[in-house]
Amino acid sequence: MSFFKKAALSSAAVLAALSLSACSKSSSSSSSTADKKASLTLWVDTEQVSYYKDIVKDFHKKYPNITVKVTQSPNGSANAKTDVGKDASKAADVFEVPNDQLGQMANAGYINPLSPSDTANIKKNYVSQASKGVTWKGKVYAYPYAQQADTIYYNKSKLSANDVKDWDTLTSKGVLATDFTNAYTMWPIFFSAGTTLYGENGESLKGSTFNNQNGVNALTWIAKQKSNKGVMQTSNALNQLKKGNADAIMDGPWNAANIKKILGKNFAVAKYPTVTVGGKKKQLEAFLGIEGFAVNSHTSNAKAASQLAAYITNKKSQLIAHEKAGQIPVLKSAVNSSAVQNDPVAKSVIEMAQPGNSVLQPKLPQMATFWDGAAPLISGTYDGKIKASQYKAQLAKFSKKISQK
Amino acid sequence: MKSYSNQRKVSLFFRYLLLTILAILWLIPILWIVLASFSYNDTGFISTFFPEKWTFQNYIGIFTNSQFPYLHWIINTLLVAIISATLSTFIQISVAYVLSRLRFRLRKPFLQIALVLGMFPGFMSMIALYYILKGLNMLNLGGLILVYVGGAGLGFYVAKGFFDTIPRSLDEAAELDGATKWQVFTKIGLPLSKPMIVYTALTTFMAPWVDFIFSGIILSTSGDPKTYTIAYGLYNMLSSSKGSATTYFAQFVAGCVIIAIPITILFIIMQKFYVSGITAGADKG
Amino acid sequence: MFKRKGHVPPKASYKEVWSKGDAADKLSFFFMGASALKNKQWAKGLSLLISEIVFLVWFIFSGASALSMLSNLGENKTKKVVFDQAQGVYVTKQPDNSVLILLFGIMALFLVIGFICLYVTNLRSTRANYIKKRDGKHIATNKEELASLLDSRLHATLMFIPLLGIILFTVLPTVFMISMAFTNYDRQHPIGFSWTGFQAFGNVLSGDLAGTFFPVLGWTLIWAVAATATTFLGGVLLALLIESKGIKHRKVWRTIFIVAYAVPQFVSLLLIAQFLDAQGPLNTLLQNWGWISWPIHFIDNEAAPWVARLTVIIVNMWIGIPVSMLVSMAIIQNLPQDQIEAARIDGANAFQIFHNITFPQILFVMGPSLIQQFIGNINNFNVIFLLTGGKPMNNNYNGAGSTDLLVNWLYNLTFGQQQRYNASAVLGILIFILSATISLIAYRHTTAFKEG
Repeated sequence: MSFFKKAALSSAAVLAALSLSACSKSSSSSSSTADKKASLTLWVDTEQVSYYKDIVKDFHKKYPNITVKVTQSPNGSANAKTDVGKDASKAADVFEVPNDQLGQMANAGYINPLSPSDTANIKKNYVSQASKGVTWKGKVYAYPYAQQADTIYYNKSKLSANDVKDWDTLTSKGVLATDFTNAYTMWPIFFSAGTTLYGENGESLKGSTFNNQNGVNALTWIAKQKSNKGVMQTSNALNQLKKGNADAIMDGPWNAANIKKILGKNFAVAKYPTVTVGGKKKQLEAFLGIEGFAVNSHTSNAKAASQLAAYITNKKSQLIAHEKAGQIPVLKSAVNSSAVQNDPVAKSVIEMAQPGNSVLQPKLPQMATFWDGAAPLISGTYDGKIKASQYKAQLAKFSKKISQK
Repeated sequence: MKSYSNQRKVSLFFRYLLLTILAILWLIPILWIVLASFSYNDTGFISTFFPEKWTFQNYIGIFTNSQFPYLHWIINTLLVAIISATLSTFIQISVAYVLSRLRFRLRKPFLQIALVLGMFPGFMSMIALYYILKGLNMLNLGGLILVYVGGAGLGFYVAKGFFDTIPRSLDEAAELDGATKWQVFTKIGLPLSKPMIVYTALTTFMAPWVDFIFSGIILSTSGDPKTYTIAYGLYNMLSSSKGSATTYFAQFVAGCVIIAIPITILFIIMQKFYVSGITAGADKG
Repeated sequence: MFKRKGHVPPKASYKEVWSKGDAADKLSFFFMGASALKNKQWAKGLSLLISEIVFLVWFIFSGASALSMLSNLGENKTKKVVFDQAQGVYVTKQPDNSVLILLFGIMALFLVIGFICLYVTNLRSTRANYIKKRDGKHIATNKEELASLLDSRLHATLMFIPLLGIILFTVLPTVFMISMAFTNYDRQHPIGFSWTGFQAFGNVLSGDLAGTFFPVLGWTLIWAVAATATTFLGGVLLALLIESKGIKHRKVWRTIFIVAYAVPQFVSLLLIAQFLDAQGPLNTLLQNWGWISWPIHFIDNEAAPWVARLTVIIVNMWIGIPVSMLVSMAIIQNLPQDQIEAARIDGANAFQIFHNITFPQILFVMGPSLIQQFIGNINNFNVIFLLTGGKPMNNNYNGAGSTDLLVNWLYNLTFGQQQRYNASAVLGILIFILSATISLIAYRHTTAFKEG
């Protein structure tokens, strides 16, 4: 090869390397300066961008030396873990995150505990489920702003309020559309059957108790639904509701506005019905998710970011989120406001949030393995790929998998 | 026994029939996509063939959508495509010419290494590319162009095959007359390879319009949709958050139809060059 | 006659250059370019010398440390969370960023190798000058050296930038990913990780991922064979149909079929996925016409795995046959017509002509490209990802569905919930070994490769 090529190649590459090695590769720590000028980024979901821009305008009035840019996160708050994990130093300073990802993110060092004053505020003024939801290993890691639990949305011209109180009644009088490939929706039957996921508090790695007869009962119930004429398996429940093929669906408050549009004056919402599992009538439970905002540990100004996060989750902001998107607040005073009290969706969700009706999403890092494996387990049971004789073995295998470090 | 011409007529009829059936089968999904873009939809799922309710709203909506700036995407992708096509074509034609018509010591090893490198799945380089671009602070459209162009050097096979079919006697005659290799390249090689240049330019031009993986990895860090290219932008419309598949689905289909039209037309124009490229390359292997 | 670089052994050894050369020659062993400078080859000499200086500066200031850090990928592997009283917030001291350390270490390695090559080239040119002086031959002047860039060294000039691009954007990332397979870079070690040898390989081949690897491998091979064969044969048959006697408006027919391939895949496949859904238009149509009473599960989660796989192969035919048809048409149009006429006169029917003339010719021309298509289908990410997303889900697999190929699984492991980067790197290497083995075996059987 020609020396010229080599010569120029080497020098160009060396120049490139010089510029690259200028980037620091030693351990970095997030520096922080209080009350200096700060420029922050905030990640929210696509549909939330418009009203968070307004909230941030007010924030800027209160803290004029902090400018904030609001954009949608690359793949939505449900993927905060991977979006931030891809490159934490380039991720937003404050981002929206559901509570089940907090353990993983805390362990990986992407988020830090809140300051003692903010922690005390949350413990005191927020509903207990919200405060528990953002606590990991005794420390609070995010600023909660909404609680989310699935409820029944139904067409009240086809089903009465009484009909939807029990699963068997509901499915005999009408058709319920749901998706058995969605572990978030369908796993909670296991809770109704009397099992726990990662222990009572959701933080005990080896504390799951579904590898027993109760777990088998839950799987049996799921398998039974295949032959239940009133249950429709679908990936597009909303569409079925709209076309009238389904009279009820199980969905979350984030879709309430859409459902209201579809059902119009026939819109009705109720808490989950009771189900017959293991021969007994139990309340069908749901996962309780706490949606919050967390501060990126790689932020250049931790104090300003904390102030931002605290502001966008204060009472006024939570009520704006409720008004614009139907989110259910978690600040006690916001929950008691008339707007929320008069909202039927909020009432059902708050009812679902009571212990016994729902279980807080655990936030162990192993939740990733759980979500991955629960979906095929449930859907395999539903369509018969997993036979009754295999239930015990499958539960044992699954339990072992999610309890590994 | 039927007459020969009758036999021919019957066979011709059946062949036309078969062709027509196949053509219909092939066009049905495309037809449905176009129909779907005209249907009114707010559930994120279209379950009928013909729209239940016709509307132009989707086409208007895609251009006025504030969360997903369609026009920006088109402009971004156009920019990336033009620059990348220009640079990549130059690189690929040069490399193909050199490998085909010049002889130098490391030629065979290079061909073999290139073959080997091509066997690694493209995903392997993604994470490293991300960090390299981040180090150069180019996690933007410029960095995307770098990625497309940087990999262009390995895509020389079809062009090389084409150059292999040009007789070397032309070069030899010119050199006997005193031309330098550079003059042979510019005055003989390049003019003769016009179809290959067009083919390479068209393929490298079309690539950024359909790539939603690499562009997603590089551009999605900022979260600012104004910087996306069209393939990732459209793809992101469906995947970006819990309710977005529902809300924006119909506009997504409209956006897809709009962008599919020019690409399809380009490809149809290009098929002539495409075929001559593949057969020329295949002749020599 | 092409000028070939002489394969004649050089006329002097380095030892001789060192012992019998003049001061400048001896100096070239330590200061690159000295001999060139003495011979007034300014461009060559200066560039060599400057390269050496730049390299040594870089090496002393950052290259050496980058290389040394490669051994342990950073000392600090754990993070520390500290409460900063001054502001009332917690700050985190991050562990050493092993990803960057690995990347810079490999880059440093490349640079060192590059420099060594440059040094060897320097010695070579010194030796060449020495030989020319010793034998009384003309030593190239600066002008001549520069001019040769456009003539005998044209390959160097034209290949320079492409080579740089390939090294930086293909070779470097590939080496980086290969080395990642030997670490424990995953969800539990996202920033600071260390070398673990073949542990990740063990996981994939015999550990918790083995139960997924082998079945997915099997399906990937079956898919590659089926996809390549069906699109090839389908294309040939379709081309024959269009090219057969009496069919008019060939270009129109050709264009109709090409549309399926021309529409971008992320558009057509995503929407076909909905088209085939259990509650999608196709099932609705079939039910409305009364052909079926229950919807058919083609590709959704309740489909039987073999139905889903068959559907994927069929949809791939929809995309791939038009291309194969195009190429076959071109070949058929160029068939030796006199041979076919002669055969027909001799009484051969259509099938015999196809079997003995047409098909072998097509196979001959398309042989190598078929092999490339096969390898390409092994790595055909788009079709499966967009059409089924891997569904139907498979409870026995870890991170993959029943229709996922190895590449899709690689994608899931990297970007899915699990974030097992080292396992996906292992997978990439295994896919490479698979492709390389198949290529080698296949090319042995085709003479085309010898041409090179």
